[in-house]
Amino acid sequence: MRSARIRSRIFKVAAGVSAVSPLFVLLFLAIVLINDAWPAFRFQGFSFYSGITWNMGNMYANNTIIHNGVQGSPGATFGILPFIVGTLASSLIAIIIAVPISLLSAFALVYKVPPSLVKWISPIVELLAGIPSVVYGLWGILVLAPAIANLIGPWLSHLGHFIPYLAGPVGSGFGLLTSGIVLAVMIIPIITATSRDLLMQVPHLPIEGARALGMTSFESVRHVAMPLARRGIIGAVILGWGRALGETMAVLMVSGNAMNYLPANLYSPISTMASTIASLLDSAMTDYTMLSIHALALIAVTLLLISMITNLFARLLVQVGRRDIGTEV
Amino acid sequence: MTNKFKKASIMTITALIGAGALSASVTMVPAFAKSHRAAPVVKLQETGSTLLYPLFQLWVPAYKNVAPNVQITPSGTGSGTGIQQATDGTVQIGASDAYMNNHLIQQNPGMLNIPLAISAQQIMYNLPGVSKNVHLKLTGNILAQIYTGKIRYWNDPQIAKINKGVKLPHAAIVPIHRTDGSGDTFLFTTLLTDTNQAWANSISYNTSVSWPSVSGALGANGNNGVVQTAEQTKYSVAYVGISWLDKGLQGGLGEAMIQNRAGKFLLPNNATISAAANAQVGKTPKNERVSLIYGPGSNSYPIINYEYAIVNEKQSSPTVAAAVKNMLLWAISPTGGNKSTFMTKVHFLPLPKSIAPLSKAQINKIHG
Amino acid sequence: MNPQMNSSISDVVLPSMEINSQRRRLKSIALWGVSMASLLLVVLIVFDILFSVVSRGVPGLNWSVFTTQTSGIAGGLQNAILGTLMLIVISMVISAPLGILGGIYIALFADSRLAALVRFLSEVLAGVPSIVIGYFGYMVLVLQFKMGFSALAGSLSLAIITLPYIVRTTDASFRQIPSQYFEGAIALGLTPLMALRTVLMRLALPGVLTGLLLALSIALGETAPLIFTAGWSNFNPNLQLVKNPVAYLTYVVWTYLNEPYKAAHQLAYTAALLLVIIVLILHVLVRMLQRSSTKQA
Repeated sequence: MRSARIRSRIFKVAAGVSAVSPLFVLLFLAIVLINDAWPAFRFQGFSFYSGITWNMGNMYANNTIIHNGVQGSPGATFGILPFIVGTLASSLIAIIIAVPISLLSAFALVYKVPPSLVKWISPIVELLAGIPSVVYGLWGILVLAPAIANLIGPWLSHLGHFIPYLAGPVGSGFGLLTSGIVLAVMIIPIITATSRDLLMQVPHLPIEGARALGMTSFESVRHVAMPLARRGIIGAVILGWGRALGETMAVLMVSGNAMNYLPANLYSPISTMASTIASLLDSAMTDYTMLSIHALALIAVTLLLISMITNLFARLLVQVGRRDIGTEV
Repeated sequence: MTNKFKKASIMTITALIGAGALSASVTMVPAFAKSHRAAPVVKLQETGSTLLYPLFQLWVPAYKNVAPNVQITPSGTGSGTGIQQATDGTVQIGASDAYMNNHLIQQNPGMLNIPLAISAQQIMYNLPGVSKNVHLKLTGNILAQIYTGKIRYWNDPQIAKINKGVKLPHAAIVPIHRTDGSGDTFLFTTLLTDTNQAWANSISYNTSVSWPSVSGALGANGNNGVVQTAEQTKYSVAYVGISWLDKGLQGGLGEAMIQNRAGKFLLPNNATISAAANAQVGKTPKNERVSLIYGPGSNSYPIINYEYAIVNEKQSSPTVAAAVKNMLLWAISPTGGNKSTFMTKVHFLPLPKSIAPLSKAQINKIHG
Repeated sequence: MNPQMNSSISDVVLPSMEINSQRRRLKSIALWGVSMASLLLVVLIVFDILFSVVSRGVPGLNWSVFTTQTSGIAGGLQNAILGTLMLIVISMVISAPLGILGGIYIALFADSRLAALVRFLSEVLAGVPSIVIGYFGYMVLVLQFKMGFSALAGSLSLAIITLPYIVRTTDASFRQIPSQYFEGAIALGLTPLMALRTVLMRLALPGVLTGLLLALSIALGETAPLIFTAGWSNFNPNLQLVKNPVAYLTYVVWTYLNEPYKAAHQLAYTAALLLVIIVLILHVLVRMLQRSSTKQA
């Protein structure tokens, strides 16, 4: 019995140490990144976030320059506004496409599709969550980009006479819209599954009450069930948004990887912060001054901060959302 | 029922993990067994240039027959990574399309830049209405103006002047560039630097440069991305590594004749590439860190380069040093890695006879 | 049953009922139609993705894919399959114990503030973009800790990515168990560890296993954190944990797609097909586990 108590104690300590491991990992990560990023911030200051020119400088020049006490290659200047805009715009498009589709799909799954079919359809939708991002990239290159360039793009650009940003040359199919759609497909399962689960937890009583008061079935779902699950759903949307912000490979493969200019229309090539880190890390390694590497680290820190804030929001909303329905899962 | 299922799933997971461990150990056993019998296995790692990667991939199986106890693992990560990993000692051989810059050499004086072969780059374009039999003529200076947005249309007087008889459309040119760091960008921007003063002053050359913003300009990832983007984009122009030439032509792209320093317009082929290489033998210093772009010679194609192995002359042990040395000597030998069967597959050319000794001398510096 | 429920009903703003109810009913039907169409669209997209991978991957699928190693621009995928397995196994060996123990701790033992903090930080860690982990892995593990491109550097990076998922699912599946079970067992004189082993573990197991499988499928599909940590190898993995690069399937999709040769592209498609097949198998397993756990509850 005594040894059992000791074993139990050891277990508890081990478990406690394990429990704080994510904390330590995150702390370590943050320290390394901030330490790496600091020289770039000293060099560039806040114009890092407002500049549109990214130039690692002439590494083959024989001199180096010093700015604010930090050494860099001649011509080096780091502005990531196009990457920030690319990240926000592509993820926003993803949200605009994914949210209605996911919500309507969840409505259908919960209230219309017979349970015997839901058993098959739900796993199919959720399968999307497990597909590797390079496979999404592959699909984007082989199927989606040609479709946008030849089919969807030209059709949408006709609408451009009425709606801004839709007009203009459609280009190669690699760009903002393609990235947005690929990201949308990647986050649809997240929003659909969460909304479905939340809606299933909504009690039947208020919905039936609304129906009895003369609401149509869709109205009762839209005006009664959804408001009850609303905050939880918003949380799921933000969670999906976070995923879209940080996606690297799929975007790298379909975004057109623009540099030094802001997107002009829906089809413009873009770069995101995550894809930029991936595509420029190699060249940055030959920067003798290391400044280019520091600048990439600063992008990483920025991305980390953004994902932290979105997660904080999502978490709060999901928690409050669950309280709305009255189930603490 | 559920219990049974739980057991089954635990078993599945254990089986998965067990299978992993088992297969790992199964593959290990012969490796160990072999190492006890034959000469000790030496493992060499190569990483870097994605342009050199296919060639290394061709070399590895062939070299297995030459030196069975040497296991070479090549990987394509990018020239910058190749240089850094070789400098760092993580890999024995780094591969790079660009030679190391002076700063890096000063910092790491023991690093050798050893040319293994000659590569080239062609300019391709998507111009509907221009016959496939016609090769458009372009100059580095014109390309620089296209990529800075000074020349906007295909029927610009500067282009029309050197392409008499070709009906050029009044369509906006779409310049395409690589967005990932790449040797192709290094070569192309070197040509622009050599032929256009404004480019030299503002942008210069590197594996990744700060592209001027030209409305409609496109970026693409990797040579494949460039070719695919060019195929899908009418009125585009792009620089493409020579290994992708066939792919581009099959996709309906045109191949431009580029003006060399002597003023002649040439296509890249065995004759013009080797002429360019031979013309610059005297210019190549002992450390072989030199640009071959826009070289002298009337029949010299202007965009060629050395493909480098980046190697630390001091290796971790005499055994490793010997293995690296032998591998590289084989690679540059006309009967070994520079054999035409390897070269033609990637459209590279062997090192000129008079350059090979310089590479050999560098390789012989490698010691344990 | 829920005090908030009454207020929620009265909060609802009812659309005015006088409007032509016929039109509203039609609108309702139309919107349900749109909903079904949305669902159909999503299902069609899944099938299109699967179809485009399967149709291109199947021609390259034969036994030699499993029995030979990648060589030159073609060859098989044995090295990548074994390498993927090795990376996943090592990363799970690191992250599974940490994640499960950590999850148990915050579900059962931690005071609520610590639990909330760990939950939040796990969530943040899960949200860190994978390329940032890749950057970290390269700078710290590969260069600073001198691991080189290696199984350990790659697995550690994957472990960082999977850890928060395992913590989260373990935590959730233990919290689903009514607290009386645990308290009852303690009251009977069992130590917490014994209570866990005899009562709780059995109930939480399907959830925990589901989390492990999810973590597995995440690790399987990652590319960005591995390019600069695991490297690539044409040979099957050996027992060397550091300084020896390993192959993995996503690298083939990413890199070979960018080669100028048809054979290389075929290999990339085949690798993508294998990835999708493994994801499908894991997905089915997760489904079955979830079903067995809901049956229990």
